[in-house]
This record gives sequence, C-alpha cells and structure tokens, in this order.
Amino acid sequence: MTSPVQPVLQVRALAKRYGDLEAVRGIDFEVAPGEIFALIGPNGAGKTTTLRMVATILKPTSGEILANGYDAVADPDSMREQISYLPEEAGAYKNMKAIDYLKFVAGIFFDDRERMARAIEVGRKVSGLGDRLDDKLGSYSKGMTRKLLLARTVMTEPALAILDEPTSGLDVINAIELRERIKEMARGGMSVLLSSHNMLEIEYLSDRVAMIAAGRIHATGTPAELKERYDAENLEQVFAQIAHDGKEVM
Amino acid sequence: MRRFLILLKKELSELLTLQTLLPFVVVVLMFAGLGQTLSSVSAEVETNINVVVADHDGGAFSGAVMAALEQAGLEPVVTTTVIDDSSAARVLEDADATIALEIPAGFSAALAAGEQQQVESWARIRHFSFVGNEEIEALEGALELVNSTVAAAIATEAAPDVPAAPLQRPVIRSEHVMVGDKTAEAPAMAVMSFVSQQTMFIPIVLFLVIVFAAQMIATAVATEKENKTLETLLSYPVSRTSIVTSKMVAAGLIALLAAGAYMFGMSKYMSGIKTGLGGGVESEAALQASEAAMRQLGLTFSTSDYLLLGLTLFASILTALAIAIILGAFAENVKAVGTLIMPLMVLLLIPYFLTLFLDLSVLPDAARYAVLAIPFTYPFITGPNLFLGNYGIVWWGIGYQLVWFAVFVTIAARVFSSDRILTMKLSLGRKKK
Repeated sequence: MTSPVQPVLQVRALAKRYGDLEAVRGIDFEVAPGEIFALIGPNGAGKTTTLRMVATILKPTSGEILANGYDAVADPDSMREQISYLPEEAGAYKNMKAIDYLKFVAGIFFDDRERMARAIEVGRKVSGLGDRLDDKLGSYSKGMTRKLLLARTVMTEPALAILDEPTSGLDVINAIELRERIKEMARGGMSVLLSSHNMLEIEYLSDRVAMIAAGRIHATGTPAELKERYDAENLEQVFAQIAHDGKEVM
Repeated sequence: MRRFLILLKKELSELLTLQTLLPFVVVVLMFAGLGQTLSSVSAEVETNINVVVADHDGGAFSGAVMAALEQAGLEPVVTTTVIDDSSAARVLEDADATIALEIPAGFSAALAAGEQQQVESWARIRHFSFVGNEEIEALEGALELVNSTVAAAIATEAAPDVPAAPLQRPVIRSEHVMVGDKTAEAPAMAVMSFVSQQTMFIPIVLFLVIVFAAQMIATAVATEKENKTLETLLSYPVSRTSIVTSKMVAAGLIALLAAGAYMFGMSKYMSGIKTGLGGGVESEAALQASEAAMRQLGLTFSTSDYLLLGLTLFASILTALAIAIILGAFAENVKAVGTLIMPLMVLLLIPYFLTLFLDLSVLPDAARYAVLAIPFTYPFITGPNLFLGNYGIVWWGIGYQLVWFAVFVTIAARVFSSDRILTMKLSLGRKKK
C-alpha cells in the first residue's frame, strides 16, 4: 500500500520525439490521489502524446513515468493494472452487446469472479444505459458509446483514469452527465488525468491544471491560481496568452 | 492463459460475422451446387438425348447404326428429310436435338459390296465448358461401334472360318504404368487424368484457405484501427504477445474451419464430376479398376500422407498469418486490407500458377531456386511429392516455412510492442496534407 501523500502518478523529464519532430520536450507533473489534473493547450501541443505515454501505448524517448511506483517503461504490465485509458477517438466492438463488452473488459482486468462482478456493476451504474446494455454496440449513438466507454474506463476503479477529451462530440446534456460522473468517481478516491479543449469543462472539473504548448508545460496550478497569475477573468484568457507565448517559443 | 482465452473469444466473435463468412459460404455452396448440377446434367444426358437420323437407306447396316446409337445412350429420331448446311439448324430445332446424322441411299448395299461409305453429321456446340457436350462424345463412340459391327459383319461374310475379333481389331494392348518404383496395369491416360484432377483441385483449396487466413487476420487488425479500439486494447493489462497470438489463433482456427468447408464442397464437386464424366455401367467398372491401380501406384494418399499435407498447409497458414498481421498493421481501415495483402497474394500466385501449368524441374536452375525460396511453393508441391515418395522435400518444406514463420512472428511481436503499431500507416490512393 502506498501512503496517502504519495502521488499516484509521477512524470519526470518526459520527452517524445517522432523523427525530427519533438512532440513533448521534457515535462514534469504529479497527480495526487483523488485529484483531477488537466492538461490544456492548443492543438499539437503534445497533450495526446503525453496521455498515450502515460497509458503505456507509446514509449517515451526519455524521462520517467511512475504510477503507484510502477514504471511505464520497465514494467508496463504492472503499470497497466493501475491505470485505465479513454482515448479521444475511441470506439467499441460493434458486434458485441454492450454488457458483453463490460464483461470482456472485467475479464481482462480481474481473475477473481467477485471482483469481476463488482466491476460490471460499477460499469452498469456509471453508464446509466439500463436495458440498452443488452443491445449491440453497432446500434449505439455517439453519446451512448461515449457513456459506455467512460463507464468501461472507470469500472475497474483504477488508481488513475486517463481521459483524453472525455466529452468530445457530446451534446450539452450528455457532457454535463459525464462530468458529474467523473467528479463522483474522483471523490471516491480515483485520480484523473485529463485533457480537454473545453475551458468550461476544465474549470468545473479540475483541481489542478497544467498549461502545455509546443511540448512544454508553461504553468501549473489550480484554476484560481492561474487566473490570478495571468490576470485573467477565466481560463480561456489564460489559455490564449499561453498559446500565444507557445508560438513564440516554437 | 485465462486472459488469452478471453481475447481469443473476442477475436472469434469479431471475425465470425456474416460479412466475413459470406464469401466462403458462397464458394462452398457454389462448389457443392456445381457438383450437384454436373451429376444431374449427366443424368439428364444419359436418359434423353435426341439424335436426328436422316435414313435414306433403310437397309440392314443403317439398322446397325440405329442400334449402336441406342447402345451409346442416344435416342434416334428418324426422318427422311434431306439435311444440308442450310436446313440442319431447323431440323435440329424441330427434333430438340444437337446432333444430326445422314445415312446416304444405298449405304447397306455398298458396304456389303466392300465399298467404303460416308455418313454426314452435324453437331451443334452449345457451349465450351468441359462437360455438357457429351452427346458429341457419345456419337463418336456410336460410330466406333458401327465400324466394328460392320467390319465384323463383312469379315464373317468374307472369311467365315476366321474369328471376327482379330480382324476387327488386330492389335490390342495391355498398358502398364510406372510411377516412381511402382508399377500397375492401367491406361496411362487414366492415371494422368486422375492425378491432374488432384493437382488441379487441391491447390485451389490450398490457395483459398491461405488467402482467407491472411485476409482474416489483416482484417482483425485493421478493424481494431478502424473502430478505434486498438489504442484501448493496447492499454489493457495483457501482454502484447497475447494480443498477437489471440488474433493469429482466431484467424487460424477460422481458416481451418474454412479449409474443412472447402474440402467438403470440393469433394461434393469432385464426386459430381466423377458421376458427370463417368456414367454408365462400363465406366463404373473402369473407375473401380483404375482406382485399384492408383492405390497400387501409390497415387492415393495414406493417413500419414494426409497428415503431412495437413502439416504443410498448417505451416503455410502460420507463415501467411505472421506476414499478414504485419501488413494489417499498416492498414488504417478494413478497405485498405485488400491492397495491403497484395504482396502476399503475389507470393502465393507465383507458385500456384507455376505448379499448375508446369513441373518445377523444367525451370532453369536460378528460376527454380527462386520459386523454391518462396515459402508458399511447398503446399503446392507437397501433393505430387507425396505421390512420388519424395518425403525429404516435404519435411524440408515444413521446416523451411516454420523458419519464415518464426522470423515474421518475431517482427510482428516487435511491431505490436512498439509505437509502430499506432504510428505506421500507408496512405493509399489519397494524399493527406
């Protein structure tokens, strides 16, 4: 067991290079237990690359990622037990019934039957899809799929949920519902690392925010701290300033 | 292991969809249906083929012609119309026939007087497939019979003391065939046609099964990319090896299922052809005799031969799967799969066509070694080599293919455990800006 003060996620000097392109140029941050930590920045800033590295599906060029002490590069299999990842553009197996998809994921994560059953129950509840869980995923709307995928991500009650644009493409009502659920899970002790373009969402959800541009983190703090530091009325203005500075850096 | 089985189950349920299975169900039904059609065509052929006979003679020998036609399974429709090129079409149509035969006046008398006689025939070729024009063959047989009957009659007339048979057919032969070190009494042509049936049709099955397996696995990878499920799958706590092997095993299992189904369809087809081309009591006996000769010559597969053939095919499927999973990793969507597995298709088509049309030993050395370097050559040459008892090359082929498999499966595992599985892609036919 890790002590409560120990961060769930530690990222140190993380860098990623694709050929000549430096997507991430050495970033550091930590996520505490139960904390919702957001990465915000313009397109191409390196948010998704960072999330993918934390999700162990891309290998860092250099730097270190630890989740509950497990190293993403040295021991990805143990690291994957700690995390759960929702990509921005995610889909589901269209020939599967939604409930079978939840069962499939529960089976992948857990050996113990009771643990599996609990995960499926959490997934069922978080999805809020009720009877529609017996339908094939091919018949799902975008909103329903996204709800199910979020449910899938948090059902294993991971130490860290990695959510890339969790409400992308959703209508207002669906987005509000999803945000509410994410907040609820975090209150239950789950840490969240997320990225979003939606400043309203970020302000509402996040405990702390890192502003990222051109592969570097330019500022980290609570939304209130950042607004004060940049003398801005809202995060959008902070974002605009940093995006502007980021271009100068590039 | 448990997680592997969960993945395997998922792969199977993803692959076993109507969309993916339909093509091979259609092929199996097509073969079985074709076999059915062929045997029913022949049944029809046997019972009811009209032959228009314009008999301007009405003598004893024209009667012998009718008898011979009936014996050959043809139904003479006798007319007294004079047939020529301009009227033949109408005559055939009226009698619902494809063949007409005209026996000239004075036919019997002239033959009896020892003069050579000429009959004229018109045959309408309905189509160019290799079955369905049997009536033309039947007519050949009937005229052969007429010749020997007439010859016997004339011989008996001219030399009543000499037995008719040697005069009709002074030289007959007893044929022996040698294959490898085995000898049997059988017509060489029959042996050749038996073997060519196998060398024609087994490769079709092999080809389809290997292509099917390759398509399955490349589709399995491409579907994950297209449906945007790959990223999530890669973040699950399962080893990359399990992901790769579960896809390969699923595709392999379905390919074997397809192989079984193809074999079933093919055997229906072959038995359809046998009844279609054979037919008649006489050929049934001949068929049995030739089958006994094939066994004697070692031209039928024993259980261990089937095992070796199966093992070779299995090694080919594994190799194809290992190559195709890498090719599939380049695909951004399922549509691209067809194009991406082209290199594999070429590797298959070269040995397929070469072994279909010629013996590899006639190729110049360099070309032969090049063909033998292709792993997929071996399934196509295993059948003939088993017939000839060349077990060395069969085992070499299995081993050689497994080396290819080992190399490519290692590459596949590398691709799946690196960034490349997400980042590598070929944009085909469209340019991204």
